Amino acid sequence: MKSIQKIVLMLIFTSTVATLVYAAPIKNQTTIAVKIYGNCDQCKAAIENAGKLKNISKLDWNKDSKIAMIIYDAKKITKDAILKKIALAGYDSDIFLAPDAAYNKLSACCKYERVNKPLVKETAASTGKDIFSTASNTANDLQAVFDAYFLLKDALVKTDGSMASEKAKDLQMAIDAVNMDKLSMDVHMVWMKILNALKEDATHINGTKDIELQRNHFITLSKNIYTLIKVSKPAETVYYQHCPMANDGKGADWLSKENAVKNPYYGAAMLTCGKIVETIK
Amino acid sequence: MDRLLILCKKILPVAAISFFLIKTSLAQSISKISGKTVRYDLYVKDTTVNFTGKEKRAIAVNGQIPMPTLTFTEGDTAEIYVHNELNEETSLHWHGLFLPNQYDGVPNLTQMPIKAHTTHLYRFPIIQHGTHWYHSHTALQEQIGMYGSMILLKKEEPALPTIPIILSEWTDYKPENVHRMLHNASDYFAIKKGTTQSYSEAIRQGHFKTKITNEWKRMTAMDVSDVYYNNFLINGKSESSAPQFKAGDQVRLRISNGGASTYFWLTYAGGKMTVIANDGNDVVPVDVDRLIVAVSETYDVIIRIPNDSAAYEFLATSEDRTKSASLYLGSGIRQLANPLPKLKYFEGMKMMNGMMKMNGDLDDMGMQMSLNQMDMNVVMYPEITGEAKKKSTEMKGMKTNTGQEQYNSNKMSDIVTLNYAMLQSTTSTTLPKAAPVKELRFELTGNMNRYVWSLNNKVVSETDKILIKKGEIIRLILYNGSMMRHPMHLHGHDFRVLNGQGDFAPLKNIIDIMPMETDSLEFAATESGDWFFHCHILYHMMSGMGRVFSYENSPANPEIPNPKLAQRKLFADDRKFHFMAENDFANNGNDGMFMIQNTRWSMGTEWRLGYHAMHGYETETHIGRYFGKMQWLMAFVGFDWRKREIKMGETEKNLFGQINTKDNRSLFSIGIDYTLPMLVKFQTEIFTNGNIRMQLMREDIPISKRLRMSFMVNTDKEYMAGIKYVATKNISLSTHYDSDMGWGAGVTLNY
Repeated sequence: MKSIQKIVLMLIFTSTVATLVYAAPIKNQTTIAVKIYGNCDQCKAAIENAGKLKNISKLDWNKDSKIAMIIYDAKKITKDAILKKIALAGYDSDIFLAPDAAYNKLSACCKYERVNKPLVKETAASTGKDIFSTASNTANDLQAVFDAYFLLKDALVKTDGSMASEKAKDLQMAIDAVNMDKLSMDVHMVWMKILNALKEDATHINGTKDIELQRNHFITLSKNIYTLIKVSKPAETVYYQHCPMANDGKGADWLSKENAVKNPYYGAAMLTCGKIVETIK
Repeated sequence: MDRLLILCKKILPVAAISFFLIKTSLAQSISKISGKTVRYDLYVKDTTVNFTGKEKRAIAVNGQIPMPTLTFTEGDTAEIYVHNELNEETSLHWHGLFLPNQYDGVPNLTQMPIKAHTTHLYRFPIIQHGTHWYHSHTALQEQIGMYGSMILLKKEEPALPTIPIILSEWTDYKPENVHRMLHNASDYFAIKKGTTQSYSEAIRQGHFKTKITNEWKRMTAMDVSDVYYNNFLINGKSESSAPQFKAGDQVRLRISNGGASTYFWLTYAGGKMTVIANDGNDVVPVDVDRLIVAVSETYDVIIRIPNDSAAYEFLATSEDRTKSASLYLGSGIRQLANPLPKLKYFEGMKMMNGMMKMNGDLDDMGMQMSLNQMDMNVVMYPEITGEAKKKSTEMKGMKTNTGQEQYNSNKMSDIVTLNYAMLQSTTSTTLPKAAPVKELRFELTGNMNRYVWSLNNKVVSETDKILIKKGEIIRLILYNGSMMRHPMHLHGHDFRVLNGQGDFAPLKNIIDIMPMETDSLEFAATESGDWFFHCHILYHMMSGMGRVFSYENSPANPEIPNPKLAQRKLFADDRKFHFMAENDFANNGNDGMFMIQNTRWSMGTEWRLGYHAMHGYETETHIGRYFGKMQWLMAFVGFDWRKREIKMGETEKNLFGQINTKDNRSLFSIGIDYTLPMLVKFQTEIFTNGNIRMQLMREDIPISKRLRMSFMVNTDKEYMAGIKYVATKNISLSTHYDSDMGWGAGVTLNY
């Protein structure tokens, strides 16, 4: 009789243990340590959330060592698949680089240094070896300034402070590269008049990643570029556009190569606010 | 030493090319040296695959999915032996190729099917170049593996590393079952995709009014594609890599969409893509950020490798954006492409509401839409029109784009999306000016509720072949009056797409037409025989969305010994009946139905069987025909049989004062079913004893993602209301109240 009792007890015990093991959330557990790039507690929450899948994977990321301990069900998901999800949330690892758009969306404290991201070398396109390239080159000295301005404007449209800062640097370089002697007399006059203001605004925009500060400087920058483009006659049609709400309701202007309104002072929040006030040909 | 290095550098790219085109170079060298006949042997065989953790049946050719890439050079003669080792018929169609009609590979039209365990020879000269593909044209075989790339090289092909890419999709469901579920308006795919668009979801997202309007206009949940797929594949894989490229390399991707019903968005993490050819025809290079490849279209795209230390993701995302497939080009850390964000379905629903008139026609509000330039779906694309708005954050007094502008994706964002107006042929494509022009207009028609797809509201089996004469120019004007986009494909010919490029109009053999678009095409009739023109979404084609262009006075096709038999078998495809059945096993009785239906006809029996005589037993059988484009009206004849024991002396009167003999009756009837706004079915039926019954019924009201409500009320003073929870594809839990049988709860099984 006792032996039967024992057997029953053992059965109960083993089944309890079995259920406990069985009930553990992640089966076929594999644990790995992986480096994931990030800075702060906010990153920690985002990284852990991106890599978490109910009953399949979970992770613990250490913001000092940048190491994540990932526990996952190796039959259901791969390490690469988890890291890909984390990269799509904006965080590089040693296997995946996040899409630029995802990285750019991270809040300021999470904009970690992208040590793994390679600098883009000169490609066939930029060296002119690209047989299928459709890009054309322009000779106009000022064109480089205008082009840099338009790229800066696009960055502001995207509300992308770090890109705007980069583009402002390009603008600075383009301004410095202008050979004044080659400008016609009337253009030369205008250029002399606005040069210092242009440089100042470009330097300020380059010096910060705060989008609001950048937009403030963009107001005067746009005014000066407008006087310049008016007198120098652009290679292609340019639209002078106006948003009545910008500049605390005082209104502000900008230049664009497209007639569609894309507002650099508000970006996606009010992308199409504004109207064309002048078409410069 | 230096010299050796230079030599190595020269050889490297060559090695890279040959890595991919071993077969090509082999075939090329053979064809250049020998008699230019290139032979392939294709062994078609059943196989099992495991894409999802479950073993499923598929068809492999020479042991692989996709089928092997076939490569020829212009001027070769192709000799392709198809060894059918299946236990069923098969066929192969050479998509986009100009060839003698008898080798076009449409079973029961240009040849008889290749019978099980026989061999068939396709032999034709290669008189063109470009990226094409091939696939089974038999039943639904294309869905389960029978697709492959077919590369026709120019005699002088620019030396460029090249990767043939065939896109496809995989579902664990049998394709026959997918087809059946589509015809039975099952919303299980929507549940799997998370696109039920139920009332509770609508309310949460502030779109209750949108949902009501949608149902008022007799529409169900909207989607951009019909089928839920488990995987999307690039060359048969969800993820793969091609590490052999170096910084500055330009790589030519020869992309064919071999998916049965999926459009793919293509994006690349390494910068813009340059489109250089479409449907096998060269176009003036155009740089784009993304393009959508319609089902069965092909594109040649140049991508560039920006850096040595990273691999760049080439991403193919299904149009419904549920999943994607990736190819990493280059070596090193993987730079991901920006994924396409989820669609804003309720914005799409709102857009559809605006376009839909009460009679089921579409209203383009004066916008002349064509060539994919305006994409109504941009309202659903967060990357173009912004993230979904939270309730009440809409700003007042804001100027928004209106009219046509609001659908022009290229005007609304920095993202350059390819459309057909941007394609320009590299050579003049004008047709003989003196030739007589025959103009044909087609409206693409159909409705989602019964999954009927047609041209001018007629399916293949309901129409005669369209006769054309050799020497004519055929101008096709296609208008899409249906709610889905359709990739229309013409066999054996390229047509010019009149897209504003004048003499340099691009040549294509597939054109994707979005709802409300009108496109004009023209081609020179230079061949003979019968050529299929159809929607290339497999399930639409099998439903009969097509026509046959037949050259007058063509010589008899030796592959079709009995044209009458062939035609009957061809027509059988869209005449097919689809079966469905359902039974609710509840504690108060059984409720159920089965139905078979095709394009126009429906035969169904419903039953309510109690567990004892007091509850009664009854069945109703209806045989009916649907009318109209939207098929809201069905006229039917019926037979009713009921038996029930009622307490002595109790009789039932209907609303009209007529006395019912419900207790034991066998009656014939005639009547009509009409779908009212809010998708309520109104039924009027007159029985042989003079009794009239009118009934209102609505089934499958989507309350939440998986909760469905239904009700019924009629003039016999019967009523019913129920609710069910869709647990799996075939099982639901249900509860209902029925005036005859009272409360009940049970399990509903459906097929």
